[in-house]
Amino acid sequence: MEAIGKLREDIQKELEDVEFIIGWEQGFDALHATPLFIRSQEDIDRLIWNPLCVHNLASYLPQLKGRKVGVLLKGCDSRSVIQLLQEGLIQREEIVIFGISCPGVVDLSKIRARMNVSQVKRVSFAEGNVTIETPQGREEFPLDEVLATKCLSCQYPTPLIYDHLAGEALSPQRPADLLYKEVEEIEKLDVKERLAHWERELNRCIRCYACRNACPLCVCQDYCAADSRNPHWLSQRAGIGEKVMWHIMHALHVAGRCTDCGECERACPMDIPIQRIRKKINKEIKALFDYEAGVNTEDTPPLYTFQMEESTIREKDW
Amino acid sequence: MSGVEGKELRVVGFLCNWCSYGGADTAGVSRFKQPTDLRIIRVPCSGRVDPLLVVKAFMSGADGVLVSGCHPRDCHYAEGNFYARRRLEVLKRFLPFMGVEPGRFEYTWVSASEGARWQKVVTNFTEQIHNLGPLHHFGEGDGSGGDR
Amino acid sequence: MSNKGRFLATDKIPGLLKRLGGTYRVFAPVKVSDTVILFHEFKEGAQLALNKQATLPPKEILFPQTECLLSYTYHKDPENLEKSEVQVEETLEALPTIIFGARPCDARGLMVFDAVFNDGQWRDPYYKARRKATTIVTILCTQPENTCFCTSVGGGPTNTEGSDLVLTPVTGGYFAEPATEKGGALLQDEAFALGHNKADEAREEREKVSLESELELDGIAQCLLELFSTDFWKQVSAKCISCGACTYVCPTCYCFNITDETAGVKGERIRTWDSCMFYQYTLEASGHNPRPTKVERYRNRIGHKFSYHPTNYEGMFGCTGCGRCIKACPVSLDIRQVLREVKVHG
Repeated sequence: MEAIGKLREDIQKELEDVEFIIGWEQGFDALHATPLFIRSQEDIDRLIWNPLCVHNLASYLPQLKGRKVGVLLKGCDSRSVIQLLQEGLIQREEIVIFGISCPGVVDLSKIRARMNVSQVKRVSFAEGNVTIETPQGREEFPLDEVLATKCLSCQYPTPLIYDHLAGEALSPQRPADLLYKEVEEIEKLDVKERLAHWERELNRCIRCYACRNACPLCVCQDYCAADSRNPHWLSQRAGIGEKVMWHIMHALHVAGRCTDCGECERACPMDIPIQRIRKKINKEIKALFDYEAGVNTEDTPPLYTFQMEESTIREKDW
Repeated sequence: MSGVEGKELRVVGFLCNWCSYGGADTAGVSRFKQPTDLRIIRVPCSGRVDPLLVVKAFMSGADGVLVSGCHPRDCHYAEGNFYARRRLEVLKRFLPFMGVEPGRFEYTWVSASEGARWQKVVTNFTEQIHNLGPLHHFGEGDGSGGDR
Repeated sequence: MSNKGRFLATDKIPGLLKRLGGTYRVFAPVKVSDTVILFHEFKEGAQLALNKQATLPPKEILFPQTECLLSYTYHKDPENLEKSEVQVEETLEALPTIIFGARPCDARGLMVFDAVFNDGQWRDPYYKARRKATTIVTILCTQPENTCFCTSVGGGPTNTEGSDLVLTPVTGGYFAEPATEKGGALLQDEAFALGHNKADEAREEREKVSLESELELDGIAQCLLELFSTDFWKQVSAKCISCGACTYVCPTCYCFNITDETAGVKGERIRTWDSCMFYQYTLEASGHNPRPTKVERYRNRIGHKFSYHPTNYEGMFGCTGCGRCIKACPVSLDIRQVLREVKVHG
């Protein structure tokens, strides 16, 4: 059975026992999906599943604690749930998980960068290609060229936690050594060039906090340190200093917890490559503590614990 | 705002109350000669030093930041510095990625009796910062700080 | 107005902007990354992007995201430390400015600002001075996007309200027609050639553009009031993540915050953009928050734009249909869909 058929069937079975189930439906045009809160049979009919279903729906869960809901999760999204469970920020028994095996989702900004998408009429996926029709004509290209960067090194195409699974369990198809490719590109620059890089990129930040609000691990939300006047971490100014400080703040607050879902970067209306800031920390956490967030509910985030002797930390010799 | 003139640079030190602050005091009482660039902020424990305090110090004009606490296993609160070590090591590896030169941030352990060690740490660290010179702040890197 | 029209060849634009730069601050849409177009102060060699809607509207030129209202310094009396004086310096910068390449929805957006900051009971000297010093050169739209709905909110792809000089895309360049004296003055530049032969083409281009009014908004202000205390808002705001993207990309959102940012004895009173999507926006000093969740906040955003604003300002919606909020939304929440549902339920 096709994944969507299995999903609909499972959702139907569970719908009575939950307040709603979060999935995706077609958005305002053929190129955009949007989250769907399923409450009725009619809603089930609107459900879609395809490479446009980019949103990590786990981001809604912490705020729904105390209510019984269902959620559709891709492999990467399931890691967010595991991380939230680890930290006691959600309750397993309150969530019905519909896992979906996922071969990859698109990065809309990669599509926007290569063609004018302001009048897309039709989008279809077949045999590893995507076809996009606009009044100017149709363009077809390999899906791999517009997949989200995280998908190109995906090690978890099948959800790690679920109650129902749609689609056949997939084994990892992508090379793991690509995981830190963008981070390594920055590391190749000298320090001054890195400063210039971040100045250039982060200067476009409008401090809208879409990166924060889309982040499944940013659970403080309305009580974020970035909004605090006392202590005054950040001024209200939209200067480069505040913008850099904010992104470092976000990165450090999810250090050892970030599951690399990429929602921060995907949500950014200014298309700033901010995921690599968080990813750099993931890379160091992996090197130091051989730890990857969100793969085992029994783990403790590495910065919430310690060892008396840290074999991997070499302190400065004075 | 700093009141610092001439060649002195702005070096900020977060020192734990129980060990390193005492160590600095011991160095002073023993009249060990030390550079004067360091501005000390006394904190209850190195475990209290949120990495963001270090970042905030750089953003507010520091050219170098040092965190110093009790030696591992000697923490007044038993395990504060164990947590600090992990956090600060991650921070130390992360800051250069954002364009802050390696060496501008260090962390170490100095006990209250180690006046001589404190002298060595503060001298070496200040020298290290002087070798790096004033920090290039965001907005000064390539002049793109003005336009979005 | 067509007999005053002139022809502006595309290749003459950089020269024109450079010459205008001698007298004005000239802002034009520039490609800053593969996907982002922003209004930047024009510099020679900048990659102009005139054929697409900019990622952000030009509102920040008149209403900066951060603006210093005044700066201050405290002086302590060395004889009596309890006595201190504060010295205040006012900052009001309003240099002659040209916004080149706005869209009709952007130009109309400034009319919303005018109503609030410039024409009513309260006038904002900062905005007012800048507005007076600014000339808007608008490029009419010949290719509305999937997200455009200007015709539904009283505007249109060829609407000239709020513009000083209007450019219609024609073969090889633009047909320029003044809408105000301020705009007409620019036509004296050598870049503008005689354009009689282009007048007909420009008219045809304008007539060719079609963007049907897809929303029926009559009576929406009342519908919104009726829906105010219903569960409707829980449903429509469910997927909202309560970030400020929609408000910061909006050409009509004008809410701001004023804070004193002090360091030592010096400080600045700054005005910054604020967003009704944020918890702190309505947080009161007592700790009470009348809009504690995204449900109330989202209701306010729609209510303000389509009910309270038109009620206060002679029917003018706080929305020009530019569609940027739809494009920028991380969860593709479509304001048009919400308005349709308001009409169904209200």
